[in-house]
Amino acid sequence: MNLQIRILTTLLALLGCALPASAQTGKFTPHSVDLFEVLPVQDGGRIKPVSTFADFTLLRLSGRKSVTRGDDAKTHLRSTEWLMEQAFFPELAVDEPVFLVSDAAALDAIGLAHVDKKKRDRYTFRELEPGLNALFAKANEYSHIEPKERNSVQTQIVNLAEAVQIYDSLSGHLDLALVPAPQPEPKDAEWLTPEEVALRLTAPMFRDKLTEGQKQVAAGFSALQQRRDDPGAFENQLAAVSGQSIAMAQARGEYGKIPLERFYYRGQFLFYGQIVFILAFLFMAFSWMAPKAKLPYRGAALFATAGTALVITAIVIRCIIRNRPPVSTLYETVLFITGVSTLVALVAERITRQRLALSAAAVLGMVGVFIANGYESLDKKDTMPSLVAVLDTNFWLATHVTAITVGYSAGMLAAVLGSFYLIAKAFGFRRDQRTFYSGLGRMVYGVLCFGVIFSTVGTILGGIWANDSWGRFWGWDPKENGALLIVLSQLVILHARMGGYLKEHGVCAAAAAGGMVVAFSWFGVNLLGVGLHSYGFTSGIHNALWTYYGVQGGIVLLGTYGWWRERLRAAIKAEARGEMPSHSSGGTRDGGAAGGATI
Amino acid sequence: MKGILKGILDFFSSLGLSSALLILLALLTYLGTIDQVDHGLFEAQKKYFESMVVWQQVGPLVVPLPGAYLVMVLLCVNLVLGGLVRIRKGWATVGVIVTHCGIILMMIAGLVKFKYCKEGHVTLYEGQAKSEFESYYDWELVVLEPTERGTVIEHPIEPTAVEHSKGDKGRTFDDPTLPFALQVTHYMRNCQMMPKGPMFSVDVPVVDGAFLREMPLEKETEQNVPGVYVTAIGRDGSRTDGIVWGGSNAPLRANLAGKAFGLDLRRQKFPMPFEVRLDKFTKEDHPRMAMAKVFSSDVTVRESNSTRAVKISMNEPLRDKGLVLYQASWGPSNARPGERLFSTLAVVSNPSDQWPLWSCLVIAVGLLTHFTRKLVRHVRLEGKKS
Repeated sequence: MNLQIRILTTLLALLGCALPASAQTGKFTPHSVDLFEVLPVQDGGRIKPVSTFADFTLLRLSGRKSVTRGDDAKTHLRSTEWLMEQAFFPELAVDEPVFLVSDAAALDAIGLAHVDKKKRDRYTFRELEPGLNALFAKANEYSHIEPKERNSVQTQIVNLAEAVQIYDSLSGHLDLALVPAPQPEPKDAEWLTPEEVALRLTAPMFRDKLTEGQKQVAAGFSALQQRRDDPGAFENQLAAVSGQSIAMAQARGEYGKIPLERFYYRGQFLFYGQIVFILAFLFMAFSWMAPKAKLPYRGAALFATAGTALVITAIVIRCIIRNRPPVSTLYETVLFITGVSTLVALVAERITRQRLALSAAAVLGMVGVFIANGYESLDKKDTMPSLVAVLDTNFWLATHVTAITVGYSAGMLAAVLGSFYLIAKAFGFRRDQRTFYSGLGRMVYGVLCFGVIFSTVGTILGGIWANDSWGRFWGWDPKENGALLIVLSQLVILHARMGGYLKEHGVCAAAAAGGMVVAFSWFGVNLLGVGLHSYGFTSGIHNALWTYYGVQGGIVLLGTYGWWRERLRAAIKAEARGEMPSHSSGGTRDGGAAGGATI
Repeated sequence: MKGILKGILDFFSSLGLSSALLILLALLTYLGTIDQVDHGLFEAQKKYFESMVVWQQVGPLVVPLPGAYLVMVLLCVNLVLGGLVRIRKGWATVGVIVTHCGIILMMIAGLVKFKYCKEGHVTLYEGQAKSEFESYYDWELVVLEPTERGTVIEHPIEPTAVEHSKGDKGRTFDDPTLPFALQVTHYMRNCQMMPKGPMFSVDVPVVDGAFLREMPLEKETEQNVPGVYVTAIGRDGSRTDGIVWGGSNAPLRANLAGKAFGLDLRRQKFPMPFEVRLDKFTKEDHPRMAMAKVFSSDVTVRESNSTRAVKISMNEPLRDKGLVLYQASWGPSNARPGERLFSTLAVVSNPSDQWPLWSCLVIAVGLLTHFTRKLVRHVRLEGKKS
């Protein structure tokens, strides 16, 4: 396994060379920035490259992973370069616009002028400095209010004060756990910051516990400050200390995945995935407009496959880095659902070749990757966090979580296909092509069957896990109930279809409505803030979720209108022929008719 | 008559009823989930999932809905009649029948758990041993009778009986081995014992200058502290009043028929068939973080003459003699390094503990059989078409 990782990381490191080089500030050589990026640092309970730390710190402050300077050239700084500037040239860093203020009303509240700025804009530390006393006084006042109870200005003020504190902690010194723990200490031992090592050297009881390696690495990092004005000397010193640090980390077996993680983030698989899925969507749109042309269809198939491959590659790399099954966080559910639903859609397209499943793959891929990127920007936290104790089990993550997430994927795919059906019917698309609709209806049914297996088994497996960790199989906890709702909604559709209460149109409408059930289970219950699945709580997605409910509900209503219109047409035609309109009949398990109109 | 019976059978085995019940169950699940935000899990569970009827507020109206308990009973009947008895038997339906068998097994497991499960916890400091566990929610009233040998005989009154002792009359419990009968009144699920001042009046009895003040129910049910008024009625007709409150530090003491007795309202206790001693509690955080990575309790289990060491950790409980012990929590949460810690182990006695696992396997086999068969048929048909 280690050999495989080494081969993969070597290949990826080579590939990484092809990636864009860092922008130059003139203060550091490009090689210095590269060396700094792959330095191992302990943060958030794990060892990661400095580039990951820098990415998410900057994301937290400025809502981006790079800095765009306010100069005429609009120079871009990569996050690591910004971090280096912050540590070694704080007098320059004060002029970098890294503080995102979403609404200037927050600045009004602390009496800070913001002339020539937009309502949502980025500010430098120097610009904020006159208002810092008022900012911290207000933040202190608002911190006593429950986060849920704060208004938007209060929330922004508290967040901005936290951002300034983070900024300050990184200003002028390396407050990062860059000094590896010595070799005999257990796995997951604490690393130290260079300053902590310096402090321990002053206390005899701690001094003796430091190894020579730790002292040298700490001294090496401290010496960087003295060489800051000579880029060449700085690079040499950094090369020496990073060599020592990496050797110590390797000796502890904690360095192996650092280059891979740096490659993962620099590779921007999801960014490119989004572009590729948008292209797939556009080609698909052309394909519908020109059904006989082969190029748009082939282009859509190619891009959708490429997008799926990018998402799956991202998932696989994350699994290797984390040494975990594909899903262990809410963020990863988005990636996995996108990967699985697009893959299933591509397989369905391969079987049916009706362009419908391919369209669903393009839509789901585009939306899924957009949500993943949006979630990362909203959460502003490392997407590979350490897990709480109850989740520290690869067996249950691999079985229950994976199965239930596949169930979510199928539910979403069925909802998208069902929505296609309803929209097409409502707008009279290919009105006379019965096979088009029956094929789509069969596809929705097939995906629902696929989904019900995983939803049901995944939900029960969750109960068995709960029985092993919390002492009860079922506790009516919101997250459990959400999973049960998906199972029940899918069972209702399948039973009602079998009984003849739902026909093709009804199944598609119900599947489309099922998308809302999946969204409620996936994200909605996390907003409630109650239950044992507290590790999955989230916030800030309320509006997006309700927008989705609204859109999906609208599609179902549109579908109902389409059904009603079709029935009306059939009735008029029958009347014209002097016949009674036909009624579909509901059935029982033994084939008996239950009667009544069905959709 | 036959026609009526057939009609009833048709109704209870119909797919229409299945669909309607599944929709109702989904609706109740949704309502019960949302209700937890305001009323907590315990209350929502009682109202929606363990009831026969739910009175649901819809705007200004109160609408009756069947409770999930009733819905699940009907679903079980429907499943047996329609999904097992009347369903067409053949290769085409074998997967469905197997799945239905699995679901019935799971529902039976749920029923057995609901009726016969005992749940609670045992909290131990390092070095401490216990051979009983106590309930999270249920409170029992206990008469404590000291003996001449220095031991205490406990005369417990079941929690459900205590809970029904409401109002002025309440209930009277007569244990013939005691020299008095005990009338229990004014049961309050959550209350405080307070001194009665001269400036206000109360609508409950005042005993020795104190009374029980009813409080609103807590969202977290385990935080509710109940209380009752008691009257010991001697065999000679003498009456002694008292208040027993769950939040008291010590049992109520009373001299009855010339002998000292104690009365205590405490969380219900259950004996364990073995003794558990906590040897060491371990809590490991992720490095440089205040987030726990591992909780575990090293315990010694002693039964009869044998002892054995066991490690209980998250996701790895101890199963023995029909009981399962889980790592639940620990404390004190603000403990400083080196301070003595306690570990709380959740204890469950559930006869159907592993039945859901078997049902899951059966359901998985059934669903895979059924849908794989359908998929193969579908692919073959598509192949023929093309």
